[in-house]
Amino acid sequence: MNPAWVIALPAVGALVVLGLGTRAATGWVGAAFGLVTWLAGLWVALPYVGSAESERHVLGEMATGVAPIEVALTVDGLAALLVLLATTVAFLVLLYSVSYLRDEPRRATYTALVLLFTTAMATVVLADDLFVLLVGWEVMGACSYFLIGHYWERPDARAGAVKAFLLTRLGDIGFLFGIFVLGTATGSWSIGAANESAASGAMSTSQATVAMLLVLCGVVGKSAQFPLHTWLPDAMPGPTPISALIHAATMVAAGVYLVARLDDVMAASPVARSVLAVIAAVTMLGAALFAVAQDDLKRVLAWSTVSQLAYMFAALAVGGYAAGVYHLLSHGAFKALLFLAAGSVAHAIGTTAMTEMGGLRRALPVTFWTMTVGFAALAGLPPVVGFFSKDAVLGVVSEEAFQHASWQGWLLLVSGLLTVVVTAAYSIRAWLLVFCGEARGARPQHEAPWSMRAPLVLLALASLAGGVLVLTPDLVDPLGRTEGELVHPVLAAVTTVVLLVTLLLTYAEWWRVDGLDPAERFGPTRRLLHRELGFDRAYDLGIALPTWALARTVVATDRDVVEPYVRGAGTGARWLGLGLRWLQRGNVQVYVTAVVAGGLLLGLGAGWLVP
Amino acid sequence: MLLLFPLVVSALLFSIGVYGVLARRNAVLVLMGVELMLNAVNLNLVAFDTYLRDVVHSGQVLTLFVIAVAAAELGLGLAIVLMIFRSHQHIDIDRLRELSDSDAADEAIARDHQIWTGVAGGER
Repeated sequence: MNPAWVIALPAVGALVVLGLGTRAATGWVGAAFGLVTWLAGLWVALPYVGSAESERHVLGEMATGVAPIEVALTVDGLAALLVLLATTVAFLVLLYSVSYLRDEPRRATYTALVLLFTTAMATVVLADDLFVLLVGWEVMGACSYFLIGHYWERPDARAGAVKAFLLTRLGDIGFLFGIFVLGTATGSWSIGAANESAASGAMSTSQATVAMLLVLCGVVGKSAQFPLHTWLPDAMPGPTPISALIHAATMVAAGVYLVARLDDVMAASPVARSVLAVIAAVTMLGAALFAVAQDDLKRVLAWSTVSQLAYMFAALAVGGYAAGVYHLLSHGAFKALLFLAAGSVAHAIGTTAMTEMGGLRRALPVTFWTMTVGFAALAGLPPVVGFFSKDAVLGVVSEEAFQHASWQGWLLLVSGLLTVVVTAAYSIRAWLLVFCGEARGARPQHEAPWSMRAPLVLLALASLAGGVLVLTPDLVDPLGRTEGELVHPVLAAVTTVVLLVTLLLTYAEWWRVDGLDPAERFGPTRRLLHRELGFDRAYDLGIALPTWALARTVVATDRDVVEPYVRGAGTGARWLGLGLRWLQRGNVQVYVTAVVAGGLLLGLGAGWLVP
Repeated sequence: MLLLFPLVVSALLFSIGVYGVLARRNAVLVLMGVELMLNAVNLNLVAFDTYLRDVVHSGQVLTLFVIAVAAAELGLGLAIVLMIFRSHQHIDIDRLRELSDSDAADEAIARDHQIWTGVAGGER
């Protein structure tokens, strides 16, 4: 089957859903299209999962001044995995949204945008042409803008949407120029050609470095890595299923996917890899620390996403392709689970503030158990999938550190191990605050309906069983890009011990403070982390305010410098007109006198000059 | 024949004509000044025609032409003077200032406009 179906079906679905408007069936029709897309995704992707083969479909060609833009789609092992992940999560999110947004007046546009989001992500994943990929990439940015701002009556939703749009767009400028560099270096816009050119050495190291550094700008924006990390937590006012979609399978995953897709070009540029390593090391620890201090459940999860994405980049930065892709899939499953479960909690008690939660264990048993699996995966507890994928990432990083003794490896290893500790701490903190202890505020009304519970259970099963993937590393890395095992027993034992100690310590502290927030122990540091080290304030002061000041200067210059000249032209003409008016006084004899005097002067002048 | 005499006479005639146009108030006298200037030119034409011994006498022909045109012009001018006298009861050039670009003139025009059309206001 032509992979274009995976792109076309949700797009058609979006139009149909828009046509249906606010009818009761809208949600179900959207879910049906999600199911059809998922089936098409299975049909397209399954033959290529774990296969070294790839198939290229050229749908059309657009002539440009240089190399033509080919509307080309490629299915290979990586694209197949991502298609499965994206279509599965999109279907589950659509199914979940049927009940979640039952009483939502704008559910038609919501459902249509989710379907369009799926289209865009499928385009990104399947594209073989950099410009086709860019189209999907930007459509995704626009959809995320609309979906984050879904509740546009709320100022924080509007601000979050604009922030997400601006920060990702800022990175995309770099990405666009990265495409230009890749295109000039290879003479074609094809991703496959870029990889081949880099792998065969036809592309010089400097070209690869410039191209990848520019592409990384877009990746950092899209995947919310330092220093463009601030938009993702502010995107939380959007509906919770959207957060699941954005954080698990689309949008932020697209950044990781792009780096994995351009792995050969990355490998050709040690500088780009080092930059990525530093970004990943800073982001994973920083975001995890911010997650510790948050009071909002969704914000905790948002920071955890930023931190987990940094894990994937860490693996890719040291050439751990298999580990990076594995963690991308694993994170896609458990983060979708966590967000959908958080949505279930919010659906039940009407808030996402953890200060209002507590003791939800009994009232929401399904949500409790599935979210426990999600948190276990996030913290990396065996035998949940997060344990294996995190171990794979840390394993490849430690190999880099010990065998190649590179500073990037050591930096990432230290940062990664610290992040394991912090991740365990914020996971169990959130778990304890939400589900254990006494109820502190809102009482749950009801457990979620089956259309919301079913995705939770399915994703929890996937998170529990995903660990078996380590037994078949060929599935995530069919081309054998990375050597070495996905399992590292010694490292796994060490991290598990560290993890358990952290969990116990956090639990003991929670017990000591009698069910209150264990993060309070950090005192002023906690407040600093709660403000996320003032990055927003710094960006305001450093970028937003100067921009405003510059804009005001431009306005003032226009008003006080340019405009006087324009006005001066008008005023001058009026003064000149007044002078001429004064001359035309109505006495004909004055005019004749002037004519005669003028004639005389001309005559005299002519006689004097021309003797 | 000396050219000087007709040229001096012509210059005198022209100057008198200019004086009449510039200094007289009566519109008829102004028109007479114009006629004097025209005739000074005619005198010049004839004088130079003779002096240059023009075979086709273009100067004399042009003089006849100017006389004809001047007659027509005078007829038109006197008709205008007559109309002015009918509307203003005088033909004093100094006091005919409606065409000046001044606020007073604009008001006068607006007034006339109202008299003629019965509509208040008028184009400024």
